[in-house]
Amino acid sequence: MALKMKAATCNSADKILENFIAELEFDTCHHRIETQDIKCGFGLQGVCCKLCANGPCRITPDAPKGVCGATSDTIVARNFLRAVTAGSACYLHIVENAAWNLKETGEKKGEIKGKNTLNQLAQLFEIDGGGYHQKAVKIGEKVLEDLYKPRFKEMELVEKLAYEPRYERWQELGILPGGAKSEVFDSLVKTSTNLNSDPVDMLLHALNLGISTGLYGLFLTNKLNDIMLGEPQIRPASVGFKVLDPDYINIMITGHQHSLFSHLQEALVSYYAKEKAKEVGAKGFKLVGSTCVGQDLQLRGEHYQDVFSGHSGNNFTSEALIATGSIDLVLSEFNCTFPGIEPISEELMVKMICIDDVAKKQKAEFVQYSYEDRENISLYVIEEGIKSYKNRRNKIKINMPANHGNDDTLTGISEDSLREFLGGSYKPLIDLIVAGKIKGIAGIVGCSNLVSGGHDVFTVELTKELIKRDIIVLSAGCSSGGLENVGLMSPQAAALAGDSLRSICEQLGIPPVLNFGPCLSIGRLEAVAKELARILYIDLPQLPLILSAPQWLEEQALADGAFALALGLPLHLAKPPYITGSKIVTKVLTEDLEELTGGRLIMDDDVLSTADKLENIILSKRNALGI
Amino acid sequence: MKRIMIDKDKCMACLGCVLGCMAEHNEKGKSIYDLDLEDRTNESRNHIELDHKQNPIPIVCRHCQEPECAITCMSGAMTKNDETGLVEYDKDKCAACFMCVMSCPYGVLKPDRVNKEVIMKCDMCDNKDTPRCVEFCPTKALYTVEVME
Repeated sequence: MALKMKAATCNSADKILENFIAELEFDTCHHRIETQDIKCGFGLQGVCCKLCANGPCRITPDAPKGVCGATSDTIVARNFLRAVTAGSACYLHIVENAAWNLKETGEKKGEIKGKNTLNQLAQLFEIDGGGYHQKAVKIGEKVLEDLYKPRFKEMELVEKLAYEPRYERWQELGILPGGAKSEVFDSLVKTSTNLNSDPVDMLLHALNLGISTGLYGLFLTNKLNDIMLGEPQIRPASVGFKVLDPDYINIMITGHQHSLFSHLQEALVSYYAKEKAKEVGAKGFKLVGSTCVGQDLQLRGEHYQDVFSGHSGNNFTSEALIATGSIDLVLSEFNCTFPGIEPISEELMVKMICIDDVAKKQKAEFVQYSYEDRENISLYVIEEGIKSYKNRRNKIKINMPANHGNDDTLTGISEDSLREFLGGSYKPLIDLIVAGKIKGIAGIVGCSNLVSGGHDVFTVELTKELIKRDIIVLSAGCSSGGLENVGLMSPQAAALAGDSLRSICEQLGIPPVLNFGPCLSIGRLEAVAKELARILYIDLPQLPLILSAPQWLEEQALADGAFALALGLPLHLAKPPYITGSKIVTKVLTEDLEELTGGRLIMDDDVLSTADKLENIILSKRNALGI
Repeated sequence: MKRIMIDKDKCMACLGCVLGCMAEHNEKGKSIYDLDLEDRTNESRNHIELDHKQNPIPIVCRHCQEPECAITCMSGAMTKNDETGLVEYDKDKCAACFMCVMSCPYGVLKPDRVNKEVIMKCDMCDNKDTPRCVEFCPTKALYTVEVME
């Protein structure tokens, strides 16, 4: 008997997925990582510069400066700031679209699903009077006005959104952002050829971008979306590939902009769509969650029980999801839409439609989303879904992994739903922390990548290690996709926690890892931290709280990271963000920053030593608070 | 025994081999992140030359069958190990006369950059399975082959 050779694919914390991918006939990220395993040392250390025709210049002991005279510090800081700038631009694009959608929803008297959030924001922004729709218009306008301000004009909402002690600190440091888009613009100018050479100035600019990324790109995007799409409500949900039902016309969504699907979500479960689906032999339409926008739908799943089948997994499961053959159409609007899904979609005759050109895929048809055209776009997607289902289903073999995922992942956790769950105040959580029953809080956030042990390996192992030490974990980002699929967000995961955390979880029927959903929810974690600090009359850096984006992937994650550092929180990354080639940048981020914002970067690619370091930080913060 | 072979047409001058060699011989640790790229005491035993057409050529130690470096070495620091086939260097015996540097037909040997006291000599990474220069070469311009005794 011939032995079937297992293809060389990446390790994954999700063994069912790993085995499924290894057996696939398609080329995926999990295969390609093996062919990209030799990395450039200059790239890893961030000391390659190709900003001019004399380059690429690389720093070596024989060549300690670029042709222009740039030192490793200048080169690294420039590269790092460029990455943060691009990441910030991505999140600002998301909040800009969300704000426009909210404004138009208000103007066209569309449905306001999150009235509490609307009133919360209206009060915060000091918008008096007017009905729901008027308030929505004004909120949208306030956000847009700030985003479009010139750099020399401070954004007005920052002071309203930021925790007061933070705002003061940022003011002292001179890092309060002017118009967010202008800050991005001038950062690009700053980092262009032979302009800024001051590593410290560039790092401060990165913090400035971190503030607008966090308060607008993350926090406000969530709030604006909650207004339009409904507030998160805590509920158990199915996750993993088991959410796929091949009897339906399945539309896989990728991206980060939930509000762009607002109309479609309703249209897909309309009588018209259901009847059209039945005509071709399908039971109806389903949206299948993939990447962060799937997490966003999951978070608001209470409002979309009919149309949303569930979240399948993070970005590095997206190719495998299409390879099951059960997906009929891929609808994308933002990133984490890998180019790698294109050949698989083509082979399996899966129609690809892209509704925002920032994420235009070569093989996708581009249909520009606009609030005006939303009805036509929804109709078009329905039509193309029907066509694709009819054309492909009799030619394609469905290939699904057995038993992937679970049915009891606790979802819908937000700063508001968690407070409600705790009885209307965060006091009970604080009491548990003060009593030492919960040692502290770890935000495990960010992305998923295929380094640091493999797909979600570091994330899952670190999380297990932290809960074992009675540190409760809150997750937001693609990290959630990995953690939920391996069962760490199900109540029975309490068994993996330390005795004290375990008994609390069992008593409350909750898992030790709380699922805040997409990366945008890093903004929700900040809101939780702010609320805890406010009750305790302390500043954020004093909280027994650490952040880790163990498997960060994208430039966006680095912008999130800049936010975390501006907030004054300790931030761990398993893989260094291409900075170690500069002594100044490394020292500022890992040491000196503590004196400035209170935050600092911790780089460690070993799970146990990371857990030790993070636990020690929590213990020393407890100590300083006298608890 | 193993030898490092060169397919110079595949070389892109990325200096991966140079960094690999520096990382392997770095006293502070072998990870690429342990490497201080501004530390002049971190030195590579190989390098990249440009030929007359400006095409890159990796230069690595051949561990020659008849090693000129060992033949010209007066102190016995440079010796051919008949068992492993490697040309070995003992810095404690070296008189720093640099005869080996002058006689190496490939121009791979050089005195250390800072003190000019010892010779930068390939040790095949202590005979590990894949030398770091080969491991770090993304195009396989460097590769190892087993050669006859």
